[in-house]
Amino acid sequence: MRIFLLWLVFLSGLVSPLASLADVAIVLDSGDGTITRIDRHNYQPIDRFFVGREPHHLMSLPDNSALIVANAVSNDLVFLNPDNGNILYRIPRISDPYQIAFSPDKHWFVANSLRLDMVDVYRAQDFKLVKRFVLPSMPSHLTFSPDSRMVFVTLQGSDQLAAIDLDKMAVKWQIPIGKTPAGVYTTPDGRYLLVGVMGLNEVAVVDWRTATIVKHIPAGRGTHNFMPLGDDRHVFVTNRAEDTISLIDTRTLAIVKTFSVPGGPDCMEVSADHKELWVTSRWLRQVTVLSMPDFRIIHIIPVGRSPHGLFFAHHASRQ
Amino acid sequence: MNLVDSLVRLFAMVQDHVFERIVEPLLPLLGLMEYQEQAFDATEYVLIGIVEIVLMLLLFRPLEALFPAEHWSNRQPTHIDILYTLLHRLGFIPLVMFALMWPVSISLDGWLRLHGFMPFTLDNDFPYLLEHPLTTFVVYLVVLDFAGYWLHRFLHRLEWGWALHGVHHCQRVMSFWTDDRTHFLEDFLAAFWFSMLGLFIGLPPSQFVVLMMVTRILQSFAHANVAISFGRIGERLLVSPHYHRVHHGIGMGSESGPLSCNFAILFPIWDILFHTANFATETPPTGIADQLAGRNYGNGLLLQQWLGLERLSRALRGLKA
Repeated sequence: MRIFLLWLVFLSGLVSPLASLADVAIVLDSGDGTITRIDRHNYQPIDRFFVGREPHHLMSLPDNSALIVANAVSNDLVFLNPDNGNILYRIPRISDPYQIAFSPDKHWFVANSLRLDMVDVYRAQDFKLVKRFVLPSMPSHLTFSPDSRMVFVTLQGSDQLAAIDLDKMAVKWQIPIGKTPAGVYTTPDGRYLLVGVMGLNEVAVVDWRTATIVKHIPAGRGTHNFMPLGDDRHVFVTNRAEDTISLIDTRTLAIVKTFSVPGGPDCMEVSADHKELWVTSRWLRQVTVLSMPDFRIIHIIPVGRSPHGLFFAHHASRQ
Repeated sequence: MNLVDSLVRLFAMVQDHVFERIVEPLLPLLGLMEYQEQAFDATEYVLIGIVEIVLMLLLFRPLEALFPAEHWSNRQPTHIDILYTLLHRLGFIPLVMFALMWPVSISLDGWLRLHGFMPFTLDNDFPYLLEHPLTTFVVYLVVLDFAGYWLHRFLHRLEWGWALHGVHHCQRVMSFWTDDRTHFLEDFLAAFWFSMLGLFIGLPPSQFVVLMMVTRILQSFAHANVAISFGRIGERLLVSPHYHRVHHGIGMGSESGPLSCNFAILFPIWDILFHTANFATETPPTGIADQLAGRNYGNGLLLQQWLGLERLSRALRGLKA
């Protein structure tokens, strides 16, 4: 009888509503401090739970064993099960983590503190703070050079792009990039950085080896954040003020398509089968799902206030 | 979709419309594009302020007509308080205070972190609170109400504080609009007080928008011209219009000296604990005693602010405000 009951308990765990879901989308409601879990099969919210104050961005651990949510105002990192979004554990006393990323060699973990004008470099293996950089104003997004020696940070308040040499732990250069830079992305060939310059409505193309802007790609109003299509060539950029998204060919450095997404499109996720593009519509408290390649809105999913970061496990390649 | 979800959805659509059509296009023109997200939050603040004002009008104006604590021949003297309310609830004063205090608060916070001190926050340092945000909100509400009690008490008991706070107390036709009638320097003082407190205990959770709205509406209700008491027990749990009318009463709470009483913002427990509670049952006229002798505190906003500065100047020179 006891063995039978144990089996029942075991089976009930296997068939609980959440565990049975093959795919869950996780949305950070930055204004509410909550995570909304969405069933990717029926496009319905499953539940919403508190994760911390102002969760803005999230990313996987390099080995994909957990998903990290950065709670800016709670000063902590929360580690989630990447399949279902359950909280695994927290690392407290991480100062104001707004945007986070691991270096490609998995050696460094970098957190931008937008509010406090700081960039913190941690040792990735144990999240021990190695160096804190004070930069001019509002470090926003970041990306790395392919060899992991440099991290590039947009400075939203001082209209600059900064490069930090991680070998020397020193700021290597800061260049003016245009009014209110936001997202920054390293092209798949590693040659250029693409910078979303919100105030100029363009993508600035930067040769990071020479610290020079080599091209301006006019985009939509409020050019903001990037997400690769996953074909090693194209990348999406949101034009948050214009309510559009543009698709850029990183080989020709030209926009190949622009389409509408309402409510301040911000962070994106592309499905592994390349059939769907999910977008947080920041000002409308919703996630907008578009079909690909026709970019037609197929689902609108209500979530919490100011939805920002978005993730699901079965996503396309980040290249 | 239930009614609450529908209302939330409607609010989100209105907020999006106002932000994307009116506020956001202004940001590049003003050179403030980097504050896009803060501007979005500010839009929400203004819209909530409008909802508050509408609710107060719908709820409290009929109550003031039906159960007045005082009968007035006309409401014209309350109109200046409407202006103060609009300045506060529609975000003008909070925006100025934010612009003044934000750089100070951020600089200090950054400096502390550079010197190895991570600001303490109630929810981070008490794991139970971390997983119970509603409880966290209530704890912050109580702590901030306690801090509000002491600030209010200082404003009465310190001569320079009373010089400023007189702007709030000189209203002789106190209505639900009177809550926001304050000297702008007092607003600054309050912003500084709570910003510094925020550095040491963290800021309250901001996601409970409706609850925050309710607390603000309750503070307005406390000023309403209604003969409403919450009863023997209720008067000791939550500040009622009667309890707060005693605070504003000439010869009762509306003083600068030791007779001043009932400083609580929401919870009278602080007055009870620190022996400043007055549960008098009579309904006093509101205002300041020297107004009966003809002292002028000003009828218009600018004059009220100016006379407040004059009183402050006297107080700082060691004279009676």
